[in-house]
Amino acid sequence: MMKLKNGSGRVAGVAVVEPTSNPPDGFSPHTRCPNENTGVYSENYGPGLAHCNTTKWNPLGNGLSYEEFDFPIFSMKDDNDTQLIRQCYMDHNRPVNGSHPQYPLCAMQLSSHMSAVTNTPTCMRRNSISFSMSNDMVCDPLSDQNIWAPSKPLNTTQNGHKADESVIIVSARLDSRSFFSEIGPGAESAASGLITLLAAAHALRNATQDAQLDRTIFYTFFHGETFDYIGSSKMVYDMEKNQFPIDLDNVHSVLEIGQVGFYSSSNLWLHTDPISMRNSSIQKEVKNLIDNLNSAAEGLNVSVKEPDVTQPLPPSSFQRFLRARPFPGVVIEDYNSSFSNKYFQSMFDNADSLNVLYPPNLTPAEQLNHVTDTAKSLAEVATMVARALFLQAGGKKTQISSIKADELTVSRMLYSFLISSNNSWTQEIVAPKDIVHLNNNTVNFYISVEQQASLPTILAKYLLANLTGSVVNVTQENCRNQKESEDDKESKHLYNYIWVQGAALPNSTERDGFCVRSTVHWSRAISPAFELENYTTSEYSTWTESRWKEIKGRIFLVASHDLEMLTLGVGIGVLLSSLLLTYIMSSKADILFSSGREPTSATY
Amino acid sequence: MNLERLPNEEKLTLCRKYYLGGFALLPFLWLVNVVWFFKEAFMKPPFTEQTLIKTYVKRSALGLLFWVTVLTTWITIYQHFRAQWGEVGDYLSFTIPLGTP
Repeated sequence: MMKLKNGSGRVAGVAVVEPTSNPPDGFSPHTRCPNENTGVYSENYGPGLAHCNTTKWNPLGNGLSYEEFDFPIFSMKDDNDTQLIRQCYMDHNRPVNGSHPQYPLCAMQLSSHMSAVTNTPTCMRRNSISFSMSNDMVCDPLSDQNIWAPSKPLNTTQNGHKADESVIIVSARLDSRSFFSEIGPGAESAASGLITLLAAAHALRNATQDAQLDRTIFYTFFHGETFDYIGSSKMVYDMEKNQFPIDLDNVHSVLEIGQVGFYSSSNLWLHTDPISMRNSSIQKEVKNLIDNLNSAAEGLNVSVKEPDVTQPLPPSSFQRFLRARPFPGVVIEDYNSSFSNKYFQSMFDNADSLNVLYPPNLTPAEQLNHVTDTAKSLAEVATMVARALFLQAGGKKTQISSIKADELTVSRMLYSFLISSNNSWTQEIVAPKDIVHLNNNTVNFYISVEQQASLPTILAKYLLANLTGSVVNVTQENCRNQKESEDDKESKHLYNYIWVQGAALPNSTERDGFCVRSTVHWSRAISPAFELENYTTSEYSTWTESRWKEIKGRIFLVASHDLEMLTLGVGIGVLLSSLLLTYIMSSKADILFSSGREPTSATY
Repeated sequence: MNLERLPNEEKLTLCRKYYLGGFALLPFLWLVNVVWFFKEAFMKPPFTEQTLIKTYVKRSALGLLFWVTVLTTWITIYQHFRAQWGEVGDYLSFTIPLGTP
């Protein structure tokens, strides 16, 4: 691709046929050091660790996604239409016996006109210039929603510091990307951590309700982390500005679940930040958290290790919390010094690369319930995380053996995110208005812009609500109005009520819906740069997406240049001869059209 | 309007009106003056008012030349450098093309 970009300028467009199997050597179009400028490491904080000086996290990265190309690049599935294109080339464009192919030749036209140019400050400025009559928007900021849920109800309508609340934030990321915007399978980079956290929250449901815990666990899912930490920077910003139900003083520690899909072939690694650990109280807390993780791993098939060299934190949302102030925190990953994911942020990071394989000859319904090995290992990680969180929140060690993640739920989640999001299980737990967004393909984890309802957000929202909440006996109308009975005015501050579609009744198209009460909430995930209207800032993400006109492509046969010139020449000749004829006829008009009458005099 | 039918004094007044009107930042009036009265000023046999008409036509042509150079220079500079001027270029423009810098 770089050769095509830097070539002679005779490349007008590129059409890429998607391979059916992943390249064995790995491929990552992301950079070698993801999010290196918006993390916590800089000249002021750990200068020797900044810009991946000690270890390159993504060694296979070739930075292709961040190059500028002057021509459109389309991707095509290897199906009948692509075969048609190949056939057209074979029939018309192939040189025969070393001589040039003859006209008519097969040509392709690719249209993907993008309205925005140059950079974000330019396109945002052009968005708001109201001098011209047509107020067309040129680009939009990347944004979506962060999903979060406390393990016990908090008053969410009141923002700012909550007295006597000590919160453990456990987070995962909701997004990924690839070189092409419509494809973003993100199996290891996003789905593995996301599913593990959902399973851990599910495992802790009963334990957090039964036991009285000192600290509240805050399950958080950040969107837009691929593009310089959009979601986590927004949440930290809101907490600093007292626009969030808790603030940074309430946060006790942070546990982040990164990429954990390849755990079964390696260990789990617990990454910490060496700079903040120089403070002895932070170091004590981190040791405490690591001890809890080790205790949780006892008796399970999980082995956890810490890296034995001083190295920075891998790219993680926790870095944005550290930018605000030092916190104790641990990032769980399945790699030590560089990603074990060979296809980071590429279109090959799919079910195949994660080894989510189903035996052949299974119906979709059977595949949904089939427990793969990957599901088993993710369930183990989830069990460990859940038990560690229980201990960290002040629970007793004797009670942790009953906390266990459900392998079947994990398998179903893997199926829903990686194979097909429209299946019998998701149809039961999603609200009727969002059923239309489910489709039969793998979920696209790209964040996109606010107008698009993002499928990972929808799925995470309903999964978290159903897995951590409880079914309550409330009418549909009360449920939709966020109350449990007619006079209830308090519940809407603490809980969130969702009416979901439910199971299909036998012999009928109707569904037996029910009301789910949970503590799930969502907040806008847009970079603070767009709220502050400072588009040249290097502190926050400033990614935007251009608006476009219709995207289409077509193939057709073109005639030779000589034929075109001939047609043009004949046309000009007809024009000139008709002009000549008209002139001759008008000058001899009186001879040709004489009818014996005097011509009338013209008046002006 | 057919100039053949006008008496010479009226031709002179018309030419003067167009000449003076062009000073109100209307170079097209000078263009019309030059094209319309060219035959009258230089190709017809001499008549009394012709000297004045000649001066008006010559001065109109001069003014027209000045305007043409100024506008051509500005338009060339603007079209060439608008993209590089960034913010200033955008605020000067009435419509900004999509898809090109």
